[in-house]
Amino acid sequence: MNNHSAAAPILRVDNVCKTVATAEGQLSILDSVSLEINAGESVAVVGASGSGKTTLLGILAGLDLPTAGDVWLDGDRITAMPEEDRARVRGRCVGFVFQTFQLIESLTALENVMLPSELRGESDAGDDARMYLDRVGLADRLTHYPRQLSGGEQQRVAIARAFASRPKVLFADEPTGNLDTSTGGRVIDLLFALNRESQTTLVLVTHDTALADRCGRVLSLEAGRIAS
Amino acid sequence: MNLRFALRLVGRDWRSGELRLLLAAALVAVGAVTAISLFVDRLQQALMAEATTFLGADSVISSSRPIPDAFRQAAAELGLSQVDIVSFPSMLFADESDDARNQLVSVKAVGSGYPLRGAVRIADEPFGRDRVAETVPAIGEVWLDSRLFPALGLHLGDTVSVGYAELGVASVLTAEPDRGRNFLDLGPRLLMRVEDIPATKLIQPGSRVSYRLLLAGDPEALSSLKASIEADLRPNYRWRTVKDSSPTIGGALDRAESFLLLGGLLAVLLGGAAVALAAHRYARRHYSHVGVLKTLGATPADILWGYVCVLLIIGVVGVLAGLVLGVLVHLGIIALLSTYLPVRLPWPGPNPFVVGAVTGFVCLAAFALPPLLNLRRISPMRVIRREPDRGLSNAITYGFAGVGSIGLLVWYSQSVWLTVWALVGATVVCGAFAIVALALLRGGRVVGMQAGSSWRLALAGLQRRRRENVAQITIFGLAIMILLILLLVRTALLAEWRSQIPENAPNHFLINVAADEVGAVQDLLRAHTDYDGSLFPMIRGRVITVNGEPARGWRAREGERGEDLGPGLGSERNLTWSDNVPGDNVVVQGDWWSADTAEALISVEVDYARGNGLRVGDMLEFDIGGLPVSARVANLRRVEWDSLQPNFFIVFSRSALAGFATTHMTSFHLEPDRKRFLNQLLAAHPTITVFEVDAIIAQVERIIDRVTRAIELILGLVLGAGGLVLIASIQASHETRMKEHALVRALGGTRNLIAGALAGEFAVLGAFAGIVAVLGAEVTVFALQTRVFELDYEIHPWLWIAGPAVGMALIAGIGYLGTRRLVRSPPLLVLREL
Repeated sequence: MNNHSAAAPILRVDNVCKTVATAEGQLSILDSVSLEINAGESVAVVGASGSGKTTLLGILAGLDLPTAGDVWLDGDRITAMPEEDRARVRGRCVGFVFQTFQLIESLTALENVMLPSELRGESDAGDDARMYLDRVGLADRLTHYPRQLSGGEQQRVAIARAFASRPKVLFADEPTGNLDTSTGGRVIDLLFALNRESQTTLVLVTHDTALADRCGRVLSLEAGRIAS
Repeated sequence: MNLRFALRLVGRDWRSGELRLLLAAALVAVGAVTAISLFVDRLQQALMAEATTFLGADSVISSSRPIPDAFRQAAAELGLSQVDIVSFPSMLFADESDDARNQLVSVKAVGSGYPLRGAVRIADEPFGRDRVAETVPAIGEVWLDSRLFPALGLHLGDTVSVGYAELGVASVLTAEPDRGRNFLDLGPRLLMRVEDIPATKLIQPGSRVSYRLLLAGDPEALSSLKASIEADLRPNYRWRTVKDSSPTIGGALDRAESFLLLGGLLAVLLGGAAVALAAHRYARRHYSHVGVLKTLGATPADILWGYVCVLLIIGVVGVLAGLVLGVLVHLGIIALLSTYLPVRLPWPGPNPFVVGAVTGFVCLAAFALPPLLNLRRISPMRVIRREPDRGLSNAITYGFAGVGSIGLLVWYSQSVWLTVWALVGATVVCGAFAIVALALLRGGRVVGMQAGSSWRLALAGLQRRRRENVAQITIFGLAIMILLILLLVRTALLAEWRSQIPENAPNHFLINVAADEVGAVQDLLRAHTDYDGSLFPMIRGRVITVNGEPARGWRAREGERGEDLGPGLGSERNLTWSDNVPGDNVVVQGDWWSADTAEALISVEVDYARGNGLRVGDMLEFDIGGLPVSARVANLRRVEWDSLQPNFFIVFSRSALAGFATTHMTSFHLEPDRKRFLNQLLAAHPTITVFEVDAIIAQVERIIDRVTRAIELILGLVLGAGGLVLIASIQASHETRMKEHALVRALGGTRNLIAGALAGEFAVLGAFAGIVAVLGAEVTVFALQTRVFELDYEIHPWLWIAGPAVGMALIAGIGYLGTRRLVRSPPLLVLREL
């Protein structure tokens, strides 16, 4: 099932539609979106607010289900799976970096990074996590809680956590949205460097065209459709 | 998610303080229930043991026929202690006195080992200071009642004759635990050994003899003995326990049990509410946590098992710590009450610990499981886009809580009624709240627009969190209501108990007063005591027919639960006549007769009439001294048996008994230090029999006093649990409040504005909760008093002022303490931490 060459699509989207019910009737958020992303590619999804970027990201990562259409992730048709199985797929091959960092407040930086390995029941979670925190330059902040870290530091912990799960596909949702320009720039440099090192497929949602241009391919969403 | 991960989750949540409130709530629920159960269990055992001294045993088999050996054998096989008692009236002759006086005495012959519960007390001189007797009279010896010494001119060491037996007077008998349970027990007491009975040759076929077998031991062995001989008991043998042998003690114990249980139930409910609040808060704070875990690959099943494990760990720790807390608290209670409690409390059984543990787990399952189960449904999408969380349906939350509480309460109280009425109060509060809260929120908006900025902020706060406030006012209201109920019911119960034994209640009875002695005895009593009663004529007789039908086959005397209510209609009993309604009796049906009526009429005690199926207008034929007397039932009377005044089941009109020679009886109050008056009375009227009940009254008072102390302590425990609910409830809305007020301050609101707004919000919350609580308490207390405790009810006007005032003060106070940090911290810090 997972025998794919480097050039084969790791992510395939076929005619995905998403509509939601509102007081005014059905609202279409995604309209027949189809695309393919190959392993090792870096792809930026850009578009204005409300164009459906975040919804598409959620569906690609198996966090949400489309109203119609199919998504294959690493050879699995995740749109046909129940949440239980999709969670397993996420655990196996997906990493996330969020705009709002999404660190767990009650855990230290180290514990946050250990979380994915712990969920898989791995025993060397600590060593791995220390290595990644060292890699993002936070070796001296292991026992700090998120509220004791700056925004940039929190996002670096989140990046360490994302790579610690050794994902095949890394989804990043406006990773610099909550950071100032210079901090954001340093975080992005780190993200791309790690991505290159681990040859991860990167799907990045942003409205920052400069950031999008650093990716190998840019997909533009307009009113729920792929424009380019 | 494996167990190790769940353990880490618990460890990390504990470190961050998130589980502390949940654990504290579980701890207090288990601790309070365990402490109450332990204390109640041990106190009940002690009270029961004390009360059993009234019987001299745990249970008694009595009959006018000899006790069959089969009963003794069955009791012995079950390992029960047993002692025989044979009692009968007899003449006692003081041979050595010159004028050979004699006196009718009530002989009680006992086996060695008597009594099985309580103690016999003896003295070295009549009416002298007494002490506990270590043994029973030796074979060939008797112990005599104080009053027999002056009446017969006896001294210790003299010899007396009982039937054909000559026995030595060895001691003055002052008290036996099972003395004089009824007035048929005529005459002063003579205690001798059962082994001496054959020598007296007094027991012949047809003699009036009462046989009793005292039993004591393991309650379960007693129950199985009763079950095994049940068939052989009827119709000739009665099985009695302390509850049915003394209505006053039985009633006091029953009510104490109800009340203590009610206290336990309320602690469970309060603990449950605190657990629910803490669990909802914990779950809400974990929404993002779960969202992140799901994006990292945690499946819904992982989440479910992870949090079930968390709850199990909290449950095990909370229950174990709660049991320890319960033991400590109950030891504290016992230390505090040591002067009022029996010297040695029996060891507790395993039951209180089972009750505590089961309560803890059921509480957690019913109140904390639903919000934690809901966590598995949190959408992982919430980490990238804030979506409304699918909240837990009210049906599930309240369904779980309802089933859990009702299950616990019924199991705990073993009384559906008590549970139902305790819950009726809660339901009424919730229903009433909906109406009051809506009116408040609407009215608040109108008032708030015109109010100063603090109040506007306060009322806006109340309105904005409408749902949370519904829950909070309900919880606050419930807690205050429960405290009010406890206070009201406690006051009512205490007042009722105290009134059961009035001050200066008669503690001595005089019987066998001859008609020509009535005037002289009355004068003596008036001169030496504050006696102002009158002497009742008394004659013995029995009913032969009812409306022409033989009385013996008329109807069985059996109570609602199958207990024997005493001698049947056909038994011989004391009768009297009177021109007026006696003492505090009240005619409840029919009319009292005029003093000059020539008709033969009777008045019958109402419960006795009901038990025997007698109605006004029935014709009863009596056998009085061998002569038939017919009389019509003119009315039914209610009698206060606990008043200790002379009372009769059947009272005749004077004309009906004219021509019969009667003796007279009365009762009077005598202070303990004036007991020697009895010597004077008996020396002047040696044929009179004095019957002392002051020891019994003292014992009843002591038991009631101890029960009262216990109840006050339980009230304290329940108050503590109530306080915890308030804290948990404030904690539940802490974050939202912090955030809002930090924003207001960031926008330029002053510290005073925030403090005023918070105080106003809590005060309004408290006042409304108070109003609702008073309403609920009045309804619940009405139900409890009329249905469970069988007391009268009246409305409490002071409550309608005190309730809201207490609510305001309590909630504003606790609210201020809980949010002090909010007002003091710099807004930036608050905003960053949230």
